Amino acid sequence: MKVGIPRGLLFYRFYALWKTFLEELGAEVVVSPPTNKVIIQQGLTYAVEEICFPAKVFLGHVLYLKDRVDLLFIPRLVSFHKREYNCPKILSLPDLVRNLFGVEEERIIGDEINMREEGIRGWRRGFLNIGKHFTTKESKIMKALEQAEKAHRDYQNNLKKGMLPENLIDHKAPLLPREKKIVLLGHTYLLSDSYINMNITKKVNDLNYSVITPDMVEETKKRYYLSTISKPSFWTISNEIIGTALYYLKEKKPEVRGFIHLVSFECGPDSLVGELIERLLKREERSLPYLRLEIDEHTGEAGLITRLEAFVDMMEWRYSHLESHVSSSTSS
Amino acid sequence: MKATFPHLLHLDIALGVLYPNLGVEIIIPPPITQKTIEIGVELAPQNACFPLKVTLANFVEGIELGADTIFMAGGVGPCRFGYYGPIQKIILEDLGYDVNFVLLDHPRYGVRPFIKALQTMAGGRVLSSRVIKVASLAWKVLRLSEDLERERRALRAQVKDPQKLDEIIEGALERLRTVDNEKTFQSIKEETMKGLENLERKETEDLIKVGIVGEIYIAQETKVNFNVEKTLGDLGAYVHNSVSTVEYVLHTLPFTRSREKLEAWKLAKPYLKRFVGGEGIDTVGSAIRYAQEGFDGVVHLYPFTCMPEVVAKSILTSVSKDYDLPILHLAIDEHSGEAGLVTRVEAFVDVLERRKKLKKRKLEVS
Repeated sequence: MKVGIPRGLLFYRFYALWKTFLEELGAEVVVSPPTNKVIIQQGLTYAVEEICFPAKVFLGHVLYLKDRVDLLFIPRLVSFHKREYNCPKILSLPDLVRNLFGVEEERIIGDEINMREEGIRGWRRGFLNIGKHFTTKESKIMKALEQAEKAHRDYQNNLKKGMLPENLIDHKAPLLPREKKIVLLGHTYLLSDSYINMNITKKVNDLNYSVITPDMVEETKKRYYLSTISKPSFWTISNEIIGTALYYLKEKKPEVRGFIHLVSFECGPDSLVGELIERLLKREERSLPYLRLEIDEHTGEAGLITRLEAFVDMMEWRYSHLESHVSSSTSS
Repeated sequence: MKATFPHLLHLDIALGVLYPNLGVEIIIPPPITQKTIEIGVELAPQNACFPLKVTLANFVEGIELGADTIFMAGGVGPCRFGYYGPIQKIILEDLGYDVNFVLLDHPRYGVRPFIKALQTMAGGRVLSSRVIKVASLAWKVLRLSEDLERERRALRAQVKDPQKLDEIIEGALERLRTVDNEKTFQSIKEETMKGLENLERKETEDLIKVGIVGEIYIAQETKVNFNVEKTLGDLGAYVHNSVSTVEYVLHTLPFTRSREKLEAWKLAKPYLKRFVGGEGIDTVGSAIRYAQEGFDGVVHLYPFTCMPEVVAKSILTSVSKDYDLPILHLAIDEHSGEAGLVTRVEAFVDVLERRKKLKKRKLEVS
């Protein structure tokens, strides 16, 4: 049976898990190709205008797969962290696909994965329900999940080591290591889709910086720093972004020179969390520079490069200025 | 302590009954005007949803009148409303306002902070017989204020003198502000209902019926939604609004449920299988209910970029097709202009009227 995974939204986070799980259950997995102009055009045609750009791109990927596979893999990822949620759009993906494209319910694997109340039990139940599309044997499903979770851990460990999803999924050559680093904040699906983010990781690398993404930071560290604010958000990915920002803000690592926050224009969580991070950064003494870049279907590459270059210039000037200030005050 | 809070239609009337009777001094923020909106737009994050901006401005205007405490409700997501509090708090702090921001959050964020917030909001006590008595009076006032608005929407196109209708309702709302006992409340209620009954009716045949669905703030707060319901009524439509603060409160309290909401959720199920935050699923279900009840059209009111409502909007496209129900989507924010909005509503009513005539003719032929 051919099962299609749209390359968008949480795909970049769960690629290894989903692929292994489905293959262990005997499915032939088809992943839509990297985002291209046609896919985006398709998404823009069918999605309502106000939905966020990454959701439009996701819908474009679904359209690409729709008539090429037997089943579409669009699980309803309500929550993958206790007491937290994903955003309303992610919560409703299988319904959006059914209603916008008229895809029959039987052709969508849209079972709910929900750890909000029950934690790991909600996770297992979700995968058990997904597995039942392929086999009635529960033991086979649980074994497949075990394998998948192992692949997921390996995938995450590789990300922690500094790999990007594109290195692992499409075997693209890794970026060159650099001494100076920029923390690139944002949802994995924005940071990892080099077509929609206009290859920002490469551009930053060309400017002589390495990027650090939230995926590269230890979960416990992100969670610790998150717990220092009075009320964390209820969106898991946003919380990871806040935790990452605070971690590098407080630990003050000399090689980390600034933050770039990639947000999509219509993203609800980003609109609030971006503001929160910016204000928390401003409050800190000897803080780091912060640049917010908004991405949507109207973003032009030239404008993005100009802003990026100006930011890096400012960052370098600021750094050398501060450095000379510090060294002159210590020598006197 | 002088506390202020956000506006939401007539919430200020109910809270104005509640707090002074609890011994908590409150400052009702000035009514929402263009200036309020400008303050909110200047201070709030650019891409935040519109209700965050307006309610933030309510706080600022309340503080300028002397408030030193803010009462705000929290939430657990996934809609942005639950995170308004922390964002508004940090913005006010950065502006240098020294206020106590009391956020009544879900007990799941800690039972102790919940009880402490509740205590502060109830003037020290939580459950005394006096609190319960006052709270129940305030609750009745809130319900009546909604009932009056329901009457106003239904009657505007049916009465000879809509101005008289407005006078009766505005008068009653004004009198409700000073209610402090059950007896006065009942007499206001009875007098007003009688007044409405006695209003002279037009000879209307077959009004078009329009239902309003959408997000709790924008769909109700006539001061920010350009009073779309009045425009509809003036154009000759019978209007019903499915959105209600009373139902929201009923559904949020731990031991009560809103039957209206449960019914809407059930109707929405074939299209949207689960709660997606805010009123997303209510919007879908209520639109279906209007279709089943024979309404001629639905107006969908929501803040621009509102996540649950954008989901609902996507799904309503197939509801509209399946039920042959015209739906007008109106996204509201600081850039919305009254003229453009009215033109769209007029065109929509035109379409509904023409459809109605056409249907009637078809019936006569067959």
